[in-house]
Amino acid sequence: MEWIDLGFGLFSDFANPKKRLFFGYLGLSILIAMIWLIIFRKTPLRESLARIFDRKVFFSGSAIADYKVFLINRLFTGFISPLLLTQVGIATAIYMALVRSDLTWWGIYSDASKTLVVALFSLAMFLADDFTKYLVHRWMHKWPMLWSIHKVHHSAETLTPMTVYRIHPLEGILYASRSAVAQGSVISVFYYLFGDQVDLYTVVGVNVLVFMFHVSGSNLRHSHIDIRYPKWVEHVLISPAQHQLHHSVAEEHYDKNYGAALALWDWLFGSLYVSEGQHDMKFGLLASERQSATELSTLYFAPLREIYQRLKRNSARSVRFVSKALREK
Amino acid sequence: MKRSLKFSTSILALAFCAGTAAADTYGPFPITDKSYSGDRTNSVSYTGQVARSILLDSLKSLAGKADGGANAAETKATMMKYFAGSDEDLAILSHNSKDGFPIKQTMLNEISKGKNISGKTYKGLVPGWPGNMTGVEVMEHLIHHASMSDGGFDAEYGYDYGQLIQKFGLGAMAYNQAVDNYLDEKLGADNKPNNKPYKDGAAYTGKEHSWDEAFGYFGAPAHALTLEPTQAYNISKKKDLAAGDANGDGMVDLRTEMTFGGAYYAADADKSGTDYLPTITSAFLEGRKLISSANGEALSDAQRAQLVAYAQTIEDEWTKVIAEATFKYAGSVYKDIEKFRADTKNIDADLYRAYGKHWGELKGFAMALQTGKENLGGTAVRLNRLIGFSPVTMDESIVTGIDADGNFVKDGKMSWNAYQLNMLKVQDLMVKEFGVEARKNDATANLADLIKELDSDSGGAETD
Repeated sequence: MEWIDLGFGLFSDFANPKKRLFFGYLGLSILIAMIWLIIFRKTPLRESLARIFDRKVFFSGSAIADYKVFLINRLFTGFISPLLLTQVGIATAIYMALVRSDLTWWGIYSDASKTLVVALFSLAMFLADDFTKYLVHRWMHKWPMLWSIHKVHHSAETLTPMTVYRIHPLEGILYASRSAVAQGSVISVFYYLFGDQVDLYTVVGVNVLVFMFHVSGSNLRHSHIDIRYPKWVEHVLISPAQHQLHHSVAEEHYDKNYGAALALWDWLFGSLYVSEGQHDMKFGLLASERQSATELSTLYFAPLREIYQRLKRNSARSVRFVSKALREK
Repeated sequence: MKRSLKFSTSILALAFCAGTAAADTYGPFPITDKSYSGDRTNSVSYTGQVARSILLDSLKSLAGKADGGANAAETKATMMKYFAGSDEDLAILSHNSKDGFPIKQTMLNEISKGKNISGKTYKGLVPGWPGNMTGVEVMEHLIHHASMSDGGFDAEYGYDYGQLIQKFGLGAMAYNQAVDNYLDEKLGADNKPNNKPYKDGAAYTGKEHSWDEAFGYFGAPAHALTLEPTQAYNISKKKDLAAGDANGDGMVDLRTEMTFGGAYYAADADKSGTDYLPTITSAFLEGRKLISSANGEALSDAQRAQLVAYAQTIEDEWTKVIAEATFKYAGSVYKDIEKFRADTKNIDADLYRAYGKHWGELKGFAMALQTGKENLGGTAVRLNRLIGFSPVTMDESIVTGIDADGNFVKDGKMSWNAYQLNMLKVQDLMVKEFGVEARKNDATANLADLIKELDSDSGGAETD
């Protein structure tokens, strides 16, 4: 019985519309991929199906590592779920700080139209989430210690929807914390201004904007189906091809397209790269950083080792610097 | 830190003693006074305090009998008998038998003769009430206005006099007498010493009776330690005869088996997981055992120091109980205003009445909190300013003071919104200054509920 529960627990994401891997979103992604290949790429049906369900992709060593990491990480989610409580803590702390402050805006908009409040709140939640995803993602690439962790995700040499879960558990914790801070802040500020009116527009329990992101093929971001959007749209929304480009080993694609749903942030902060129709991009890490894409021990322990060595180097450097400074004095 | 250390030490001592104690009931305790020659065998006595608790609760019942002016003089005269004392034997108005819950006494003289409230009411200034009055004067002022009210309520000012009188009295009389008198100066070496009777011919020593009086003001049934919080609470609500009837005579004896005042609110908080009632009752019981163990000799310095530690526990915890009640009713007022907000132009009369009741409880407890041993300083100022002299009334006006004749002056303005925010700040103040833990009616709970309801895990851990 417990094993059955555990089994359901491990795969519950597929039945949860709050998760990207929800079977409905996966099904829609297949449909979108078919439409793209058949209508826009003029590929025959059989060939399209063969391309979508490419054995070389789904049974590659890299993809199999994705599946293993997914299952192992599921066991860590027990550690992450208390973050919902953290979110309550963060939101309450910010809310009470506002209450204690000299600001006099508490509840000033509590008579505003419910429709407006809910629309604004849904949008703000989506924007705060998406922007902080951009920001943290960017840090993960720019700060060496975070990059050591994030490299696990980028070591994937084939992309499948499961690659979204190919992350080091530390990254999972960091992302969940980001979510708690971002959403906790928005909720508290809205609650401070609008009171009990605050609510979300949801579809199947999900913020309608997040739902739209998912039904429009969010799973294709990690796939080999390089769907592109018109150039101007790619300045606003990240297309699957743009995200695949983010995973490319090519030098010119390095440190581009950090965005999750919106390309606006990349555009605004200079990291946007619109897709160019490059076929058969090679995914993974640069040759200089290449590490095993399939070894679980590498995926889990290499980041820790790298961080440890970096800290050791840095502390040795500081000791040298201080002793030199003392000698000169 | 020092306080919490002291507290945990006394808890430890309590736990240790409790293991060896023969009984966990407050009394009977043997006569230890060497000079006593009567035939009593129990030195415990706090019936005077029980009588005063009943007088106070009866005042609340009397306020409800005012009929809008016609019987004002009569109501006031009756109320003053309960407040200032009377030669007559007064009826118990607050704790009457009901079906399935028989109460042993019906008249006050069956409990204790000649008691009053006024002689035992806080003599200091009460800054939370307009007019720069002492505790006694505030009570008289409330009684005066209560007698002219409509069933204890004055819609114009939003005052529920019954609640104000009773809740303020719990502080100004019971809490003040206990923590600022019996558990304070009367624990001194030369004040009511243990090697002399409390007064000539008494069956108890000075220290025994001082301690008992404080216990009486707290209002716990003698067998409180055998009760769950809900049971102790329900006795007061006349709901659980089995819990109240400790001696099994089929009725509740108000002298030893009823839950009054402070103990009632301790039990109320404890229903949310705190342990005020057992902590305070244990401290009283252990203190009493310690005094008894001195066997009628003067207490040593070490014994008195231990007693002072118990008293400190009682004071700290009792203060927190009042802060918990203040927190709770600030939350009630907050929620009431939330209900008004749908249509502030047409506030439902019943909702408004409930709001007045809650405000009366809030204000009463907030003023009670300021009648303790410690000067609350800036905390008291802040609390009084946040709550104001009256609730925000129907037209968003508030009382700002009283005129020379003692009539309320209502020329202030405050929005519902601002006042609701003040309630939130009152709760925050109780958390920060008193560390309340039960936190009933927490106004931020809505926010927590909202977050849980949203559960908007929009792919929190999904990385791209």
